Amino acid sequence: MVSEGKKRVWEDYQKEIADDHYFYVRSCIRQTFFPGSETAFLKIMRNDLGKDVFEDARHTTCTGIGYHTDIVPLETTMTVIARHFALMTEAGYTNIIPSCVTSFGLYTEVLDSWKHFPEMEAKIRDYLWKATKREFKIPENLVHTSDIIYKFRNQIKEKSKISLVNKKTGLPLKVVEHIGCHYAKMFPATGIGGAEFPSVLTGMIESWGGSVIDYPERRHCCGFGFRQYLVMANRGYSVSNSKKKFESMQPYQPDFIVANCPGCSMFLDRWQYTIAELEGITYDNNGMGIPVLTYEEMAGLVMGYSPWELGLQMHQVSVEPLLDKLGIAYKKEEKYLGAHGQNIGEPQKPQFLIV
Amino acid sequence: MINLSKKLLMTNMTQHIIIIGGGPAGLEAASLLGASGYKVTVLEKEEQTGGKLRLWYKLFPDFRPSNEVQEYLANGQKMNPPEIITKAEVVSVTPEDNHHKVMLADGQILKADVVLIATGFQVFNAEKKEEYGYKIYDNVITSVDLEQQLKSGHPVKTVDGATPQRIAFIHCVGSRDKKVGNTYCSRVCCITGVKQAIEMKEHLPKAEIFNFYMDLRMFGQNFEELYIEAQQKWGITFIRGRVSEIAENIDGSLQLKAEDTLSGRPMKMNFDLVVLLVGMVPATGTEAIGKSAGLAFTAGYFLATNDTHFSQNETHTPGIFVTGTCREPLSVAETLTDARAATMRIISWLREKESNSNN
Amino acid sequence: MNCGVCTAICPAAEFYHYDPRVICDTVQSKDEKLIEALLRSETIWYCGECMSCKTRCPRNNTPGFIIMALRKLSQELGYFTDSEKGRQQFAIKRAIGENILNTGYCVNPDIVSPQMHPEQGPVWDWISRNTPEIMEKMGSNYKQEGVGGMRTIAPEVLEELNQIFEVTGCKTMFETIEKHSKHKADELGIEISDEGIGNEYFMTVFTDNNGTHNS
Repeated sequence: MVSEGKKRVWEDYQKEIADDHYFYVRSCIRQTFFPGSETAFLKIMRNDLGKDVFEDARHTTCTGIGYHTDIVPLETTMTVIARHFALMTEAGYTNIIPSCVTSFGLYTEVLDSWKHFPEMEAKIRDYLWKATKREFKIPENLVHTSDIIYKFRNQIKEKSKISLVNKKTGLPLKVVEHIGCHYAKMFPATGIGGAEFPSVLTGMIESWGGSVIDYPERRHCCGFGFRQYLVMANRGYSVSNSKKKFESMQPYQPDFIVANCPGCSMFLDRWQYTIAELEGITYDNNGMGIPVLTYEEMAGLVMGYSPWELGLQMHQVSVEPLLDKLGIAYKKEEKYLGAHGQNIGEPQKPQFLIV
Repeated sequence: MINLSKKLLMTNMTQHIIIIGGGPAGLEAASLLGASGYKVTVLEKEEQTGGKLRLWYKLFPDFRPSNEVQEYLANGQKMNPPEIITKAEVVSVTPEDNHHKVMLADGQILKADVVLIATGFQVFNAEKKEEYGYKIYDNVITSVDLEQQLKSGHPVKTVDGATPQRIAFIHCVGSRDKKVGNTYCSRVCCITGVKQAIEMKEHLPKAEIFNFYMDLRMFGQNFEELYIEAQQKWGITFIRGRVSEIAENIDGSLQLKAEDTLSGRPMKMNFDLVVLLVGMVPATGTEAIGKSAGLAFTAGYFLATNDTHFSQNETHTPGIFVTGTCREPLSVAETLTDARAATMRIISWLREKESNSNN
Repeated sequence: MNCGVCTAICPAAEFYHYDPRVICDTVQSKDEKLIEALLRSETIWYCGECMSCKTRCPRNNTPGFIIMALRKLSQELGYFTDSEKGRQQFAIKRAIGENILNTGYCVNPDIVSPQMHPEQGPVWDWISRNTPEIMEKMGSNYKQEGVGGMRTIAPEVLEELNQIFEVTGCKTMFETIEKHSKHKADELGIEISDEGIGNEYFMTVFTDNNGTHNS
C-alpha cells in the first residue's frame, strides 16, 4: 500500500483546532464504562499540558442517544445543545469539546443545519429562552476531545515514558484504530483526514511509535446501532457487525485496538467476550482476545499513568498481555482494589475467554 | 477566374487564426482552415501534438489503432499547412475589437483575427475518489493506466507480478457524482469500459471480468453490438451497482463492495485488479483562458457556447470560438466532426465580417 | 439514481432484510399506499443510524436521515405498534427517555443491569456491585454534587431539561408513544404499568424476536 497517496488525502482534510481554553462536556457512555478515561484526559490536559479545561456541573446529556433512537425530536436535541452553548457563553468560553463522538457529530449537524436554515436557529433561540431564559453564542471552535490529543501528540511524546513498541522485539506494535462513525462520516471535512482515511488516531499511534493496520473492514461500523443494542431483541445486529470487523482484522494479528468513540471501545471489548462464550472463538492466538483501549487510556499509558488508575480493570478483555509487550510494570494483586486499597472482590472468570 | 481566386486567396492570407491546442480538434480545424486559405498558427503546450489521442492504444468501437488517426492528423490536408508551435503554453486571451491578444507563458504576445480554443480535456484525478484507494492500493489503476499497459505489449500483471484472475471495471469514476463536484456524464467511459473488458479478456482468456455500472451508455453506432459481443462472445459479467468502496486484503487483492441492484442484494467480492473508468474534466488552463476571454462556463467548467442547436462553436465574445472536448465530453470521432463544424463557422463568420466592413 | 452505494456499505443491509436504496425510491415515488405500508413495516426499524450512507451518496442524500423522518412519522401516526421492531419504541422511551428526565443522563450504570445485559460480562457484574468504590477510584464524582463524572445533576437543571422537553414537543412525543403502546398492550391483553420497566409489556417488546427479520 502506498502511503504517499494517503498523506495527500490527509493534507486535504486538516481542520482548525483551538489552542487552549476549552469548555468540556462529558459523555454518558464514557462516564459509565470508561470513567478513568475522562479523568485521564483532564489530568493530561491540565497537569501535563497546562491547558485550561473548564467544566460546568450544570451540563447534561446532549440527548444524542435519545435522538438516534428516535424518541427525542430534533428540536429538543437542538435546544439541549443550545443550552450547552449558553453555559459555554456564560462561562466566557468559545471553544467547546465534547467527550462523546455521537455528541460531536450531533453538534456539527446542528451547526450545519443552522447555517443552511437560519430560521431554525432563530426558533431554537426562542425555545431556549422560553424554557430556561438562557441565550447563547455559536462556538468559534468545535472539536472532539480526541482531536485535542491529536493536536498535542508531539508534546505528549516529549513527555512520554514509554513508546508503543514491543519491548522484547523492539518492533512497533501493530494497532487497529477504529474511528466512531459519527466522527467524520456525516461531515468528512470536520474529521482530521476526512472520512475514508481519518488520521486522528493514526497520528497519535505513529507519533508514539506504533504502526497502524489497514484491514478491509476498517471503516465498518462497530455495530452499536443505538436501538440495535439498547433493545435486547436486536443485539444480534450489534454483535454481528463487530464480529465482521474482528474476522477481517485477525490475519493482521493486531496487538491492540484503539477507538475514539466510547461506545465503540466498549463494544469491541464486550463483543469479543460474547463471541468467545457463544462460539468458543477469540481473535488472538492465546484465547484471551485483542485488548481494546480508549485513546485516553493509550495516551495515559504512554505518559506513564498506572493501568489500574486509568481503569483498565474495567475492561472484559484482559489488557495484561499488552502491558507486558509495552514493558509496563503492574501489580496483579492491586488490579481490583478500591480507591483506598480496600478489597471489593473481583469479577468471576468467563467460561471460555481466558482473563 | 484566376484573378478572382487569387484575390480571394490574398484576402484570406491576411486573416490570422490562432488555435490553442494541438490535439485532434485543433489539428483537424487547423488543416482545414489552412486548406481554405487562411494563415493558421497552432499553439501546443506539450512537446508533441496529438493531445490525449497519444494515450490511447485502440479506439472504440472497432479497435482501430489510434496511430492511424494520429497519422491522419499529422498529415493534414497538405495544402497551405498551418504553422505548429509546440512547447507554447497559452495563459490568457484578451479580446480586442480588431485583433485578439494571445499571451504565452513566456510573456510573448501574438495577435489574431480569430482565436479557436481547442484545449481539450484531462482525465479526472482518481485520487479524489478516496474510497477507491487509487495511488494507495497498488492494484487499483485507471483506464488510462491500463491503456498504457496494453500499448506496451507487456502482459498485464498485478503489482507483485502475478497474472490477475479476476478483474473489475468500475464505471462513472469522477462523473455523475456530486461528491467530487462533477454531476455530468463523461459520455465515453462506458464504451471504453466495454472495449477494455474485451481487450482484457482477449489478453487473459481465463480471467473473470466484471463491469460495475449504473447505466450503460451505448449511444454510438455499433456500441450496443459491442456490449452484446462482450456478454455473448466474451462472457463478461455486467453488474448494475455503483461501487461504494474498495479496500485491500492482506495479500494485496482488493475487496470491493457494491449492491447488485437488479437482485437487490449487497455484495462483497475480491479482485486481483480494479480498473477505474475515469471521466473527463477540462484540461488545465482552460478555465484561466476562458475567464480571460470573458467566456461563460457550463457545469464542470467546460467552455459554454452560444446555443445547443444553432451555435455550438461560437461564444459570446465575437471572434473567439471553441471546439472539441474543452466544451463537453466527446469521442474522437465526434471531436473531429466538431472541429469541421467550427471550421465552417469560422470561415462564414470571417466572410460576414469582411462583407460588413466593405459595405 | 438508484445506484446502490448506500446499500453496498449499509450494516443493516448485510444482516437484515433491508435496502436503503429501495426505501429512498419508495419515498421518492410519493405513492401514499406504499409509504403508509413502509411506516407500518418492520423495515424502517432496521437502520442503525451509523450514517455510512451519507458519506458515499453521489447525489448527497442520506437514507439514514430519511429513516429518522419515517420513524418520527410512524410514531406520530401510531403506526409503529403494527411491527415488532416498532413496538420497541415503548421500551426505549421508558428506559432511556425517562432516564434523561430523571437523571440528566441517557445512560448511566443504574440502567445497565447485568441481568438485562449479559453481554457486558462478569466484569460488569463486579462493577455493578461495587459502583461507588470503583467510580471513586476512577476519579469520578459519583452521585455527588459539583463537577465530575457521573455526578448528581441538580434538580434545577433537571427542571430546565423538563421545560425544554415540554416546550419543544418531546413530552408530546413521549405521550404519543405511551398512548399507542397502551392501546396495543390492551389489544394484545398484556399487562402494562403507568411508568417504569417492571411490566409485562415492557419485557415483551424488549425481548420478542420472531426470527423473520434476516431473510
